[in-house]
Parts: sequence; C-alpha cells; structure tokens
Amino acid sequence: MLFSKYFSRGKKEEKVLEKIRSHIELLCKACELFSTALQSEDTGSMRAIIDLEREADGVKRKIISGIYEGAFLPYLRPDLCRFVETVDDIFDMLEDTAFNAMSIYLPHSIREESFRVAFLNSRMCEMLLITFDAMVEGEDLRERVLAIRIYEKKIDDMKFGILCDLRELAIDSYWYGKALSDFVTGLTSISDIIEDACDHLQIIHLSMR
Amino acid sequence: MWKLSSGVFMGWSLGANDSANIFGTAVATGVVKYGVAIALTAVFVMLGANLEGPKCMATVGGVSRLTQMAAFWCTLATAITIALLTYLAIPASTSQGIIGAVIGAGIISGTADFSKLYKIVVCWLFTPVAGYVFSLFLYRLLGHLMKTAKIGIARKNLFLATGLLISGCYGAYTLGGNNVANVTGVYVSSGMLSARLAALIGGLSIAAGVLTYSRKVMMTVGKGIVPLDPFSAFITMLSEALTLHVFTQLGVPVSSSQAIVGAVVGVGYAGDSRTVSKKMLVKVGLGWLATPLLAGILTYLLLKLTVVFL
Repeated sequence: MLFSKYFSRGKKEEKVLEKIRSHIELLCKACELFSTALQSEDTGSMRAIIDLEREADGVKRKIISGIYEGAFLPYLRPDLCRFVETVDDIFDMLEDTAFNAMSIYLPHSIREESFRVAFLNSRMCEMLLITFDAMVEGEDLRERVLAIRIYEKKIDDMKFGILCDLRELAIDSYWYGKALSDFVTGLTSISDIIEDACDHLQIIHLSMR
Repeated sequence: MWKLSSGVFMGWSLGANDSANIFGTAVATGVVKYGVAIALTAVFVMLGANLEGPKCMATVGGVSRLTQMAAFWCTLATAITIALLTYLAIPASTSQGIIGAVIGAGIISGTADFSKLYKIVVCWLFTPVAGYVFSLFLYRLLGHLMKTAKIGIARKNLFLATGLLISGCYGAYTLGGNNVANVTGVYVSSGMLSARLAALIGGLSIAAGVLTYSRKVMMTVGKGIVPLDPFSAFITMLSEALTLHVFTQLGVPVSSSQAIVGAVVGVGYAGDSRTVSKKMLVKVGLGWLATPLLAGILTYLLLKLTVVFL
C-alpha cells in the first residue's frame, strides 16, 4: 500500500528495535558465559560461545533486511546498520578470544587480571543494553555513555599491566606464545569495540534529536 | 486562445522547477518515492491554485493595465528570463519576473502604477526574512518539545516521516495558491479569463510541469540539501509553506526559492551551524535584482518591436 509506512504506526521499526535488543542480549549472554568459562576453564561453555556467535549472525541478517525493507527514515538506516555491524564485530572478537582461550592455559601472573577484564567486558555489554533501551525510549544517554567510557578506561589501564606481566614470561613454543598474545589482545580489545558501538548509539540519538 | 500558450508554458516550467522546493529533500533522501511526491504535488498544487489562487491575481494585474497582446508578451518575456537565469545557474523567481514584465509593459502603455510596487517589494524583501523567522521559531519550539517529551525513537521516526509528507503537501498547496497568479494572473487583468478559469488553467499547467519534467531538478535540489537531518528538513519545508501561505493571504506572489533559502539559514542558525555559503547568498541577491529588471527590459523591447512591426 502506498502509505503503509504512515498507517502501520511504526510496527516495522518496533520489530527491528526488538531484534536489535535481542542481538545485544545474546551478546550479554555470550560475554557472561565467556567470563564464567574462563574462570572454570570449561571448554564446553567456550564452544557454546561459538554457537551463540552463529545465532547472532542470523539475527544480524534479519535486522539488516528489516531495515532495508523500509523500517526507519533512510537518513537513519546507515547509522543503525553500522551499530548492528559493530555489535557483530564484538561477537567476532569474542569468538576468536574464546577459541584462543581453549588452546592455552592462563599463566598465573595474568590470571586474576584476565578474569577481571572478562567480567568488566560483560558489565560493559549490560551497560550497552541499558544505553540502547534509553535511546529507544528517547531518554538522555550522557550518564550511560560516561559509564561505558569509565569501564573502557579501567580495562585500558589493566591492559598495560597484563602486557608488562606477559613480557616477563618465558615462552617455550611459538604457537603457544602467539595464541596467548592473541588471547590478551582480543580480551582487551572487546571493550574498545563496545565503546564504538556506544558512540554509534549516541550518533543515532543525536540525529533523531 | 493562442495567447495563453506563453502562460501555459511558464506554468509548466514553474511546475518542473519549483516542485523541487517542495519534496526535493524528501525524495532525494528516500523518505517519499518520486512517483508519490509528484502525484501529491500535482493534486495539492491544483487544490491550492483553485482555492487560494485568485487572491494574488489582482496584485499581478493591478500594477498596470494590460492588453491581451501585452499579457502574452509579459509571460513570454518572464519565461525567457527564467530560462536564461536558470541556464546561468542564478536562482530566479517567477513572481519577480512577472511583476518586472508587467511594469515593463506598463511603461510602454503609460499605465504603470509604481505606488502598488511598494507593497510588493516590501513583501519580496520579507520573504527570506519570514522563512528565516518561521524556521528559527519552529526549530526551537518543536526541538524543545521533542526533547522534553521523551518520545521513543520509533515514534520520533513516525512523526518525522509523517511531518515531511504533510509539510510537503502543505507546501504544494501554498505553491499553487501563491504562484498560480504568476502564470495566468495577467490574463485576468487583460480581460481574457475570469479569476476562477485562470486559476484552473494555471493550476493544470503547473501540475503538468510537476508530472512530466520535475525529476532532474528535484534530485539536484534535494541532494544539495541532503546534509539537513530529517528534523531540519521538516522545519525547512514547513517554514517555506507557512511563508508562502502568509503572503498569499496578503495577496502578493513571492518566491518559494527565496522562502526556502531563508528557512535553511534559520535552521542553520538555530542548530548552530552554517548551512548556506556567502557565495550562495550573493547568487540569490543577484537573482533578486536581475529577474525583475531583465523581464521588464525584455517585455519593453518585445512590445516596442511589436508596435514597430505590427
């Protein structure tokens, strides 16, 4: 119908927003699972993260097609898609980190710090979900965005400590060293991508005034 | 009836050109499909021309007394002037062109009434100012309301999509109501047509221009204004429509392009950003002066030649 967009009362948009929310919820679940699996050294749970990433891929595809089937003003679509792609990047990074975690044993010197970073990552995801909900409701995002930035700063500070401890370690095998280095890089980069996703939310919020 | 041909031609080119001011942004950004936009513009231009068009006819014809032949030359000279300035990429207004042409014809016949020009020129001066004031006021008021009302993103999206559509229809209505007098107003004062019939023919010719040849200009103008966000585009369109409506009630045809330029500047000022360059303002000013002067001189020359050769 010619004016279906105007008479549907934003149902298409509501559907897309619901899917984006479930995409972020999956991310929260994956991050929490990663945090507990890392502590308990549970490879089964680590494998479940790879399954969650695949599930999230399907949700992402549905969101993108929902947007390009006419949900939201065309002006807003690229920013919404960029946000969804960024959340997908977090999943990719988490999947790689989980894969690396399965192939290494964590050295004692960086164990506790790694657990804390994984825990903070999971808290950041929860905060991302809260920020998304606030944006959907048209509320002010400033405090939520600030909270995410504080988390990111904390992880950044911890990253330098972990890197210093890593340099003190004696590495016997090249592949073990590479996997450990990739694991630490992945673990500490997740927060950067979550911060990027949060920035996209703020751009969407501002462009809708 | 052949003397109507120049008016119909001018209406057609006005429709092809000025419809870009109405739905240009909405079409170029994909909010409204081109087909829907031109259909709505044509319908609302016709509606506006027939319901409000006669209000401005007396002003166009009142500047000087015209013969039927002079009416023909006036519209033709205006059409040529607009085409020439469009070719030179200088924004031109049909409202200023036709008044300049009628004055040119009035100088030849000795019936030019310069006292009536005062009200018209004041309205021309205030057109961009009114666009600016409306957009500044609406931007601040609606912006504040949207911010404090805490409307969800889906509802905001619906509000803006509907707002762009409604303000576009309103813009088309006021374009028809205000600018139809430029197209066929001179035929009313020369006694060729009644005001109602002139509004009908003028409205039809503008609608024909919208339906047949507006795509290119609409995309050019729309893409030029794309940096505006949906809220600013909505305010700009609404302010332009309100400006045209106010001047229609005063009975003076004004330029929709100048109204929209004023509105864009207002939105830029309210949003604390520069939306129009100095170069653009110089071009608008140049068009402001050149259009009535060129149309007037051209009509004067064409009528002189008619007197010599016929």
